Amino acid sequence: MRSGDDPVKADAVPPAIEVADVTKSYGHFTAVERLSFTVERGSTLGLFGPNGAGKTTLLRMLAGLTRPTEGTISVDGVALAPDDYTTYRTVGVVTHETMVYDELTARENLRFHAGLHGVDDPAARCESVLETVGLSHRGSDRPGEFSHGLRKRLSLARALLHDPEVLLLDEPYTGLDQRSVADLETVLDGFDDRTVVLTTHDLERGVERCSRALVVDRGRIEADVDLDESGAASFESTYRRAIGVAEPETSEAVR
Amino acid sequence: MSSFLGAIYRVLKKDLQIERRTKQVTTTVAVFALLVVLTFAFSFVQTLQSAALLGRGALWVAFVFSGTFGVTKTIELEDRNGALDGLLIAPIDRSAIYLGKVLSTTVFIFAVSLLTLGATSVFLGYSPSMSTAAAIVGVLLVSAVGFSAIGVVVSILTFRSGLDELALPVLLVPLVVPLLLAGVELTTALESGAPLGGWLRLLTLYAGIVLLAGVATFEYVVEE
Repeated sequence: MRSGDDPVKADAVPPAIEVADVTKSYGHFTAVERLSFTVERGSTLGLFGPNGAGKTTLLRMLAGLTRPTEGTISVDGVALAPDDYTTYRTVGVVTHETMVYDELTARENLRFHAGLHGVDDPAARCESVLETVGLSHRGSDRPGEFSHGLRKRLSLARALLHDPEVLLLDEPYTGLDQRSVADLETVLDGFDDRTVVLTTHDLERGVERCSRALVVDRGRIEADVDLDESGAASFESTYRRAIGVAEPETSEAVR
Repeated sequence: MSSFLGAIYRVLKKDLQIERRTKQVTTTVAVFALLVVLTFAFSFVQTLQSAALLGRGALWVAFVFSGTFGVTKTIELEDRNGALDGLLIAPIDRSAIYLGKVLSTTVFIFAVSLLTLGATSVFLGYSPSMSTAAAIVGVLLVSAVGFSAIGVVVSILTFRSGLDELALPVLLVPLVVPLLLAGVELTTALESGAPLGGWLRLLTLYAGIVLLAGVATFEYVVEE
């Protein structure tokens, strides 16, 4: 049983993330509409949905990069406030962008971010996260010379620098070859005690990784699925229904 | 307070480290400024007899163009790979990020302005006395602070809103007019020994106001 499923623990401490009635609008366009959910500590939540469903907007709000138009988001029991930057200490973020400078080496990038996050003994911590993501041998190279997979790993190293309680991963598998995916999976396997929220289009891998799934479409939660109870095939069916896509015809039916 | 100053220092140090390695901003901006001075030399040196008039004209035209180019380059650095988001998710006051960027941009613009001042002397025969030149350097420094304070906000707005890069000068130049006006008038007054009073007040006050306005609004500028 995952620690996030422990009801006693969940009652004793606030959830890792609490999203309460959150809406995000850009002018007349509503990207996220009145979302409410909680994420228990140590659990892995998957956000699934088609392109433009509002997953990335939601993740950016959880990261404090975008302010909700309405509603509140709390991380570790503390409401994210634009003028209280200490709340960001508990969150690590990996998005489509690496958030690093191609002109600095991987190690220099990490040292810079470690300084901004007030990490103790930044030199040792940088070496530690480089080792965690398997980049120790490339620390003196510049990210501009890295493959997509290596850039993703560096991005993950940057997100782990301050040892965050909550890790937000936006499409972590996109653009990775099978070996890079396997490497990333190995790194993520070491995060059992962390709360992870990830978005992905890779249903199979997402179901395998997550304990719970939210299917988001047009900015709303269309389904909330306990993946420990629901199998992959069952979830895929739920997912298709939630986003209004017809079930594929089986080979028998085609024949 | 120490973490606030520390964050400003880190952003500044990072920009200087990148610039020392690539020389991307200073080299391209310096070449640009030099071209302006040379264009002035080729176009006006035969017809215009006043080296002082030519010199300060070239100095301030080069200041505007190279400043615009310089501020674009320093913010472009943060736009690539979503680097600005990397700064925004750090647990630091966002105005520290702003002040760090303003400081580094000021360093680049000021360094190129000094080079331009030297180039006007070589190519246009502009030779103010040592004390006047020192005062002009001071005016350039305050102008560079004001220009950077406006430029960082406007260029981040331009990049974050997906506007074309060409929109930057259209938005930026009207806002720096008071700085330019004061800078040109102060340079003239310094050469002629006229009183500086009103123009000096305008320059310092405007630079101070736009800097404070930048600190106060940066939080909202970087919001999506």
